Amino acid sequence: MKKRVLSLALVLSMSVSMAACGNKGGGEVVEVDVPSIDKLNGDDYKDLKADIKILTNRTDIVDTVYKGYADQFNELYPNIKVTYEGITDYEESLTLRLPNGDWGDICFIPSTVEKSEMGEYFTPLGDYDTLDARYNFVTEKTYDDTVYGIPNGGTAGGVAYNKKVWKDAGVTELPTTPDEFLADLKLIRDNTDAVPLYTNFSAGWTMGAWNDYVGIASNADADYKNNKLLHQKDPFTKNEEMSGPYAVFYTLYSAVKDKLVEEDPASSDWESSKGMINKGEIATMVLGSWCVQQFKEAGDNPDDIGYFPFPITVGSERAAASGGNYAYAVNNKASEDNQIAAMLYVKWMLEESPIFDDEGSIPALKGEPLPESLAEFEGVELLSDNPPLKGEESLYDDIRNSAEVLSGDYPVCEVLEAALYGTKELDDLMDEWNQKWTEAQETNGAEITE
Amino acid sequence: MEKQSFKQWFCSRKVQRRLVIFTFLFIPLVLLLMFTYIPFGKMIQFSFYDMKYLGARTFVGMKNYAEVFERKEIFGSLFNSLYYMGGGVVQLALALFFATMMVFKVKGESVFKASLFFPYLICGIAVGFIFKFFYARGAVLDTILQMFGMNADNIPLWLQDQSINNVSLAATSVWRYTGQNVILFLGAMMSVDTDLYEAASLDGANRWQQFRYIILPSIKSIIVLNIILCVSGCLSAFEPPYVITNGTMGTGTYFVIMNRIAHENQKVGLASAMAIVLLILIILCTIGQKLFFKYVFDDGSSDESKAAVRKRKKAEKARKAMQAKGGAVS
Repeated sequence: MKKRVLSLALVLSMSVSMAACGNKGGGEVVEVDVPSIDKLNGDDYKDLKADIKILTNRTDIVDTVYKGYADQFNELYPNIKVTYEGITDYEESLTLRLPNGDWGDICFIPSTVEKSEMGEYFTPLGDYDTLDARYNFVTEKTYDDTVYGIPNGGTAGGVAYNKKVWKDAGVTELPTTPDEFLADLKLIRDNTDAVPLYTNFSAGWTMGAWNDYVGIASNADADYKNNKLLHQKDPFTKNEEMSGPYAVFYTLYSAVKDKLVEEDPASSDWESSKGMINKGEIATMVLGSWCVQQFKEAGDNPDDIGYFPFPITVGSERAAASGGNYAYAVNNKASEDNQIAAMLYVKWMLEESPIFDDEGSIPALKGEPLPESLAEFEGVELLSDNPPLKGEESLYDDIRNSAEVLSGDYPVCEVLEAALYGTKELDDLMDEWNQKWTEAQETNGAEITE
Repeated sequence: MEKQSFKQWFCSRKVQRRLVIFTFLFIPLVLLLMFTYIPFGKMIQFSFYDMKYLGARTFVGMKNYAEVFERKEIFGSLFNSLYYMGGGVVQLALALFFATMMVFKVKGESVFKASLFFPYLICGIAVGFIFKFFYARGAVLDTILQMFGMNADNIPLWLQDQSINNVSLAATSVWRYTGQNVILFLGAMMSVDTDLYEAASLDGANRWQQFRYIILPSIKSIIVLNIILCVSGCLSAFEPPYVITNGTMGTGTYFVIMNRIAHENQKVGLASAMAIVLLILIILCTIGQKLFFKYVFDDGSSDESKAAVRKRKKAEKARKAMQAKGGAVS
């Protein structure tokens, strides 16, 4: 008798735990037979009925601006209802929600999803050659010649500055090399009350932003990040003309060492820094061009905010990285109608919505004019990283993650700390990074060619 | 014997009792298994793999564990816990002091109790943000110190100066947890019979003597418990450094480093190994403390200290010996 109860209990508890663990895939992939997104004709689907949900990281405007886009779209397609869900801590929650297929219909692809995994979660939007001809930055979310996500416009990498402060300090020409930049910052320190370069150290991600200048800005080469850096021996070594990855970190290190940054980086505050640069209490911040719009809106002097390319010259060439924002992708486990509706919405957002004017970003469609904020980029080539070779799609991520260099915010924080406390010379730190990079190249099987 | 039908068997008291016990236990046990033991087992498994959250895994054996001990910034970060332990000592002493004050009649006792306990009710992240601005250059703390005439140049940068920033952070957890300890101590002290104080004061004992000889022995076990909780809390300190400094400027505790490795660098295997090493350390610390209290003082749970027991046994032995001797003589 006892045994019967016991075995019943075992069976019950096991079946519950199996039900809890067994369901790995989280829904089946639904194949949809539609033309690729560029050929999708809205008129064919006027009667389509669907409720679609979009996940976004912009919790600040999800109920205002974004809802406005959804309403405009709804006028064109009265039967498609679009709802937005704003998520704080977007990257981490999405990483956890994606594997279970039931998260919504459209999302921004989080950076934790590797290229080779995109096919598991997202609907193919078309093949690379056709979409690349029509949209900017599709390379970033292409795997095996199939595009899974199209960036929501793009930004260019450079430096935000307060024109008035720079002028008052007596700077007449914008810098083109790290040393000119540092000399200008010194002028600002000596001639004005503004903080020459505000690092926003305590926000963390603002330090991670320095990594973005390693690829194109420091080498003027679209192949550098995905194809050369992986195979380069000791990439963080100093060179004569002061270009390459070393130059990027040299700029930060020297600025901190010469006390050209805020007095107490540990208690810097991102939200208030926007108003401070607008008012002229901060002269310069090194961040992507998306920040320009926010700085302009943060106070009464929107016209003082300018943006110039990161000051590195390679030979006689200068280049700035332009890259996509978060990319829209469609859930491949949603129902067929939802997937089509989602593709219609993405297409409308990319081609007809006013989002790029609103956010001051580079439009998604090729051939549209650059936003006004990028006026200083004349003569500077706007490049985006070329895709990696076949078979090396995830190698860059693998190497930087196992080296723990160029990944996340902390390594850049380390550069600032070394300069602030004077605990380490930049050359020693860069030697360490070279060593870590070499080890990671070995463990991930990357051939060293140079 | 008559054969029971299934129904009879099912309705019998014995079976019904088992059934009730089983059904009541079933849900909590399933929850415990599902959310505690199965994930924990998975974590042990992960610690032997080189893996990310998504994507392929490769088995690497003990490599992750070796790395935990080899990398200076990982194992060394445990030294930052010493600051929090120092804070823990201050915190327990303060809590004992306030609790003792309140056990004797104090005016406005509940106001004090409430204001001491209040910080514990604020969530750790909010506490972090409060102190981020509290310590910022030229903010609350600096202003107060200047009001008392301190020169702005002599005030350190609370979060940046490496001689003080860990102390600043540990102070925030003292602020937060003192109230909780006060309430725990006070609860234990309340259970002491008040007649004892009266008797003691009739015998001429002052407050300190009352504390030393009445209160302290009666709440010994709760003090030991608090010390154990405090030490394991110190080893796993996370919120203050994560929110206030994000573990930069040399304030990274073990947990902060673990979080960075797991999330920024996606080394889930290594982070799992770190978690298990920390678990083992905490278990060792707890056992160590238990043994320490058992052999140096006593285990804190009995009314009589080990020393007193030894003394009594010795006296008994001596008396028996005397008796035996006396018997032989007479």
